[in-house]
Amino acid sequence: MPERGALPIGVAQLGMAALLVLCAGAVSVGMRLRLERTLAIASARTVLQLSLVGYVLAWVFRVESPWILAGVLLIMTAVAGHAAVARSTRRFAGAGVGAFLTLVLTGLVTTFTVTGVILGVRPWYHAQYVVPLLGMVLGNSLTGVSLSLDTLLADLDEQRDRVEMELALGATRWEAARGPLREAVRRGMIPILNSMTVVGIVSLPGMMTGQILEGADPLTAVRYQIVVMFMIAAATALGCMGLTLFVYSRLFNERHQLRTERIERAKGG
Amino acid sequence: MTLLSVRGVSLSVPGRRLLRDLELNVPHAGWVGVAGPSGSGKTRLLRAIAGLCDADAGEFRLRGTDRQEMAYPEWRRRVSYVGQRAVFLKGTVRFNLERPFSYASVGARFDVAAAARELEQLRLPRTVLEQDARSLSVGEQQRVALLRTVSIAPDVVLLDEPTSALDEESVSAVETWLRARAEAGLSGVIVSHDATQLTRLTTTQLNLTDFSPGVLGA
Repeated sequence: MPERGALPIGVAQLGMAALLVLCAGAVSVGMRLRLERTLAIASARTVLQLSLVGYVLAWVFRVESPWILAGVLLIMTAVAGHAAVARSTRRFAGAGVGAFLTLVLTGLVTTFTVTGVILGVRPWYHAQYVVPLLGMVLGNSLTGVSLSLDTLLADLDEQRDRVEMELALGATRWEAARGPLREAVRRGMIPILNSMTVVGIVSLPGMMTGQILEGADPLTAVRYQIVVMFMIAAATALGCMGLTLFVYSRLFNERHQLRTERIERAKGG
Repeated sequence: MTLLSVRGVSLSVPGRRLLRDLELNVPHAGWVGVAGPSGSGKTRLLRAIAGLCDADAGEFRLRGTDRQEMAYPEWRRRVSYVGQRAVFLKGTVRFNLERPFSYASVGARFDVAAAARELEQLRLPRTVLEQDARSLSVGEQQRVALLRTVSIAPDVVLLDEPTSALDEESVSAVETWLRARAEAGLSGVIVSHDATQLTRLTTTQLNLTDFSPGVLGA
């Protein structure tokens, strides 16, 4: 029987790990990359942010309050929604709210399906499962959703003539928008499809690595990872679809007109 | 009998009034020319009539039926706008000509033989059907786009500088073709810089400067 549980990491071990970063810093100094300052700040941020998250998670897991958990989930989703829109080179009024609502819907639905139905966690909102799973869902579907958003807004903005040409020939807004919508969802799905294709061969996912380091049976870790990949794929697909439909509903009106004047280019975009 | 009637139309762009209280009537098989200096709102007017953008005010009727009582795609299938710059989807001319027939509002089948005949009347060889639409010259594209709209059998076509990219011979081919369509019952509104073209093709003309807010009340 392999030994269960992660090997404890003390301050001394953390200090030794810091030596690895110092090596990287030495390379930077030696080659005059001038990255040592950025590297120091990034390392400090890593320690600070992760420690904070560690304390917050420990507290959330301990108090076991559904309200506090709901607050944490909403904050996570709001940050993800903001990031999805912030990465896009174009935006429109209501894009942030749309991204947030889409992620709330798709992220929470897939996460709770996994905890409540597939894993059968009791209660289904058990924070120890919900928080890390939602974190993985949001972190990954965020990339897809922002790609979709960016693709669609760029398409409608730059190819306005093409959409209007179809409208002028009697196409409904749906007939005219179908092509760009489909392309946007397709583009958003590519990253997750790529990682599903190479998973295990090129990269070992962080969660699976963590479980194996912790002493879990690789086969168990693999099953967890499969569930997680499927969960992320579903959340990404639903998220991309949800957000493109939201954009569609905002940029086409009931008179089947395209309202590209609602699209703004982000600063520096 | 009036086929298309446009009444009390006011148009503006942000910060500027373009047109005020414009009236325009297109009789059955009749053609109306619209002239006016650049920036007077000619394109906006055609787009507003097609319902591609909103007018500040105005009433639009086709055979007496108000546009509000009709679905916009249906209205645009009957009152169809052809932009000055032809736009195509990626694909062959044939694909692009066939495309509108996939819309619910266009309840007909694409007739490729008829399309080939029409192309020849427009001085385009039928071999362009299999060419990439976006690789054609601007003048060729303009004629293909015109055919694409006319082939969905609209009641009224709204043509925005339909021959701006054509040489003399093609202009006269297009004009002959349009006159034949008119004899077959097609109506239209034409915007053109070329006053002689408007007199050749249309029976009534209006100048948008008469409806600019500046001269109102004069």
